[in-house]
Amino acid sequence: MKQVVVHPEYCLGCMQCMTACAIAHSQTHSLFYAVLEDPVPKSRIHVGAGLFGEGFPNRCRHCDPAPCMTACLSGAISRIPETNTVYIDPDKCINCASCSMVCPFGVIRYHKDISAISGKITAVKCDNCHERQIQGQIPACVEACKSNALTFEEPSEAMKRKTNKTACTMSSETMKIPAASGFDLLNAVKKVQAEIKTC
Amino acid sequence: MSKSYKEYTITSDGQLMLKKADSDQIETVWERYENQLPQCGYCEMGLSCRICNMGPCRIDPFGEGPQKGVCGADADIIVARNLGRMIAAGAAAHSDHGRDLVEVLADVAKGKAPGYSISDPVKLKKIAGEYEIETDGREIPAIAGDLAYAMMEDYGTRKKELTLVKRAPEKRREIWRKAGIMPRGIDRETSEMMHRTHMGVDNGWQSLLLHGMRNALSDGWGGSLIASEVSDILFGTPLPCANQVNIGVLKTDQVNIIVHGHNPVVSEMIFLACQDTDLINLAKLKGAKGINLAGLCCTGNELMARHGIPMAGNHLMTELVIATGAVEMMLVDYQCIMPSLGKTASCYHTKMISTSDKARFPGMEHREFHPENSQKMAQELVKEAVEQYENRGKVYIPVEPVQSLGGFSVEAVTGALGGTPEPLIEAIKAGKIRGAAGIVGCNNPKIKHDYGHVTLAQQLIKNDILVVVTGCAAIATAKAGLNAAEAIKYAGPGLKEICGALKIPPVLHMGSCVDNVRILILASALANALGTDISDLPIAGSAPEWYSEKAVAIATYFVASGVYTVLGPMPPITGSMNVIKLLTQGLDDITGASFAVEPDPEKAAILICRHIENKRKALGLDSRAL
Ligand code: SF4
Ligand code: SF4
Ligand code: SF4
Ligand code: SF4
Repeated sequence: MKQVVVHPEYCLGCMQCMTACAIAHSQTHSLFYAVLEDPVPKSRIHVGAGLFGEGFPNRCRHCDPAPCMTACLSGAISRIPETNTVYIDPDKCINCASCSMVCPFGVIRYHKDISAISGKITAVKCDNCHERQIQGQIPACVEACKSNALTFEEPSEAMKRKTNKTACTMSSETMKIPAASGFDLLNAVKKVQAEIKTC
Repeated sequence: MSKSYKEYTITSDGQLMLKKADSDQIETVWERYENQLPQCGYCEMGLSCRICNMGPCRIDPFGEGPQKGVCGADADIIVARNLGRMIAAGAAAHSDHGRDLVEVLADVAKGKAPGYSISDPVKLKKIAGEYEIETDGREIPAIAGDLAYAMMEDYGTRKKELTLVKRAPEKRREIWRKAGIMPRGIDRETSEMMHRTHMGVDNGWQSLLLHGMRNALSDGWGGSLIASEVSDILFGTPLPCANQVNIGVLKTDQVNIIVHGHNPVVSEMIFLACQDTDLINLAKLKGAKGINLAGLCCTGNELMARHGIPMAGNHLMTELVIATGAVEMMLVDYQCIMPSLGKTASCYHTKMISTSDKARFPGMEHREFHPENSQKMAQELVKEAVEQYENRGKVYIPVEPVQSLGGFSVEAVTGALGGTPEPLIEAIKAGKIRGAAGIVGCNNPKIKHDYGHVTLAQQLIKNDILVVVTGCAAIATAKAGLNAAEAIKYAGPGLKEICGALKIPPVLHMGSCVDNVRILILASALANALGTDISDLPIAGSAPEWYSEKAVAIATYFVASGVYTVLGPMPPITGSMNVIKLLTQGLDDITGASFAVEPDPEKAAILICRHIENKRKALGLDSRAL
């Protein structure tokens, strides 16, 4: 089954995935009108900053077994097998924060959401764009990411590519091809900027 | 902000004020920077394009996603266009500032600018001569009027070459003509850059970058040079004078007024109003001992260079200065004024005043200055500042000020040398001074505040390289005590000997950011005295903490003028290795100089020392191995 696979080494930190995710979970599905909605739609993917300010897209891993599901006292969290989605039912959620306490990745947020009855604050996290997938679309964050930091594919495919890439790093020096020399250069400069802060 | 303040700034006033700001819950530029992380990699690499409405577009640097914008522009074109527009914005900012001064000059000539006058008629006549304006037996206002008119023509499109490029060595002008980058009109080059970068015009990344050089030259040998020279004509050519720097220049028992921004047209009038006896008496009536005027950023540099007015801080200190609670009024004109300042001031009694018809800020009262009303407006505002003294709450001024020396115009430097650049050339030939380097530009929260400027200056003077500074870099080195004659104790033996004999600091404050042109003029004078080109000299430039588009224009006119220039933060160009290669290597063949990027100032110092020693060798002078 196809899954969203994260390749952090390709993340440019542009946050386009966040915007796309929020729009996908809005009433109007429009960038221009979504910001006027109440509640304002929020992203389920969160781009964090690494040691020298580089981007990292943090989203639910849909773990199996899922710690959040085990911790949920009200039985609000279940798995949707068709898309392998760990799903939070907003109607059953009692807003107790047990799931976010056990989630090792800190991807669960609490706020109003159109999926919950009006005004209710509920636990919100990535739903794998379940509805989009049912309609034959790929998840919104993947569609938005132009640098392939997020891909929607068979995990085995992704693993195969990664294995080959790792194998290449074992090849002799002359064979090594940087992913993008300009990006390496930018990161080298950002690393130095971070290092000299502690001088 | 719970982090160690030492990671934000090397300055002790900065660290102590950050703590105070924290307890006052004042948001600072560092906090906002951290909230922005991660910053968008497409934009950091120059790979996003917002030029037209088929876009916005972005190019995937890893090669799998889109490689062309909707119009078909590739990474090279997009990066070059974006850089070109940065240069255009920077050149426009400096040059428009220059135009404002020329307008004042024209009004002074017509007698329509009360309070302003021609302070340096000698310079007026000298420059009028360069513009081929008759000066013999003519009245000063008539000459000033003609000069203002002639300078306005430099802004337009009627010329093949700007008037003041004549100051550059002949060899240099020939290089510009050959490369097709001779600046023709100040506004023309900026306007042409906006045209070229419109969708579907110049899609040669090389020709775009070449025009970028021409655009930058129109600033360095046009707009900025006019700004600097007309400021001297109106307000006096700087001469070395003692002053004090850092937040400690604010006074607990005086009315503190701060001027911030760039254009001396406003700050000079405030300076005059602060000397008014009636207003000083009013201040005394209100319980203050007097009126204390201090500067921030470049308008501060202008006042410091001409009148020894103290300097409270540089770019990243502007919010923290307000957080002392000791500032009755801050007046701003334009450029580098953070729109956050009004909000910061709302937590204290500080009145914030915006003064330029082209710059508004949230939370500030707008009181427009024009040449005809400036004098009156300045009086009114200083009076209001004095009245504000009674509303002052608790103040916190945690440090004592540092002594420094400012005002080394080219005239002052040659003056200190006894009238000609000869002694400097002799010292360079003898190897006592290895060469000279300009450290210029801004602060940027990406680099620890002042660390880049101060470390680089320390390393260079230690290696017997004479350092000249402008802008926020100059304030950084002043705060670190390097702009004082005693600082020769940090210099290498040769530099120590020469500066000691001349009684000058090893780090010379040459003024504001538009005054970077003074460095070019000094370099030209040296090159002319040696009968060579600027690119042959053992000199270099550096902008260790730059942030602004103006800095991009400055760095580019330095390189286009033949000065090797090392940048601290990386400009948004890493999306195109072709552009990087041209800027860091290819330009050597065209202008005889190139860029380098090195955020670590210790390593930047090595690059500069190496460059200077190589140039010495090429000139047949002794050269040290590094
Ligand atoms: S869209 Fe892609 S590159 Fe941009 S922040 Fe998200 S994961 Fe990273
Ligand atoms: S919310 Fe956290 S614990 Fe639950 S499935 Fe997602 S990543 Fe795993
Ligand atoms: S899969 Fe959908 S819900 Fe999950 S992070 Fe991506 S866009 Fe958001
Ligand atoms: S000019 Fe080209 S690359 Fe830029 S936004 Fe328009 S279509 Fe996209």
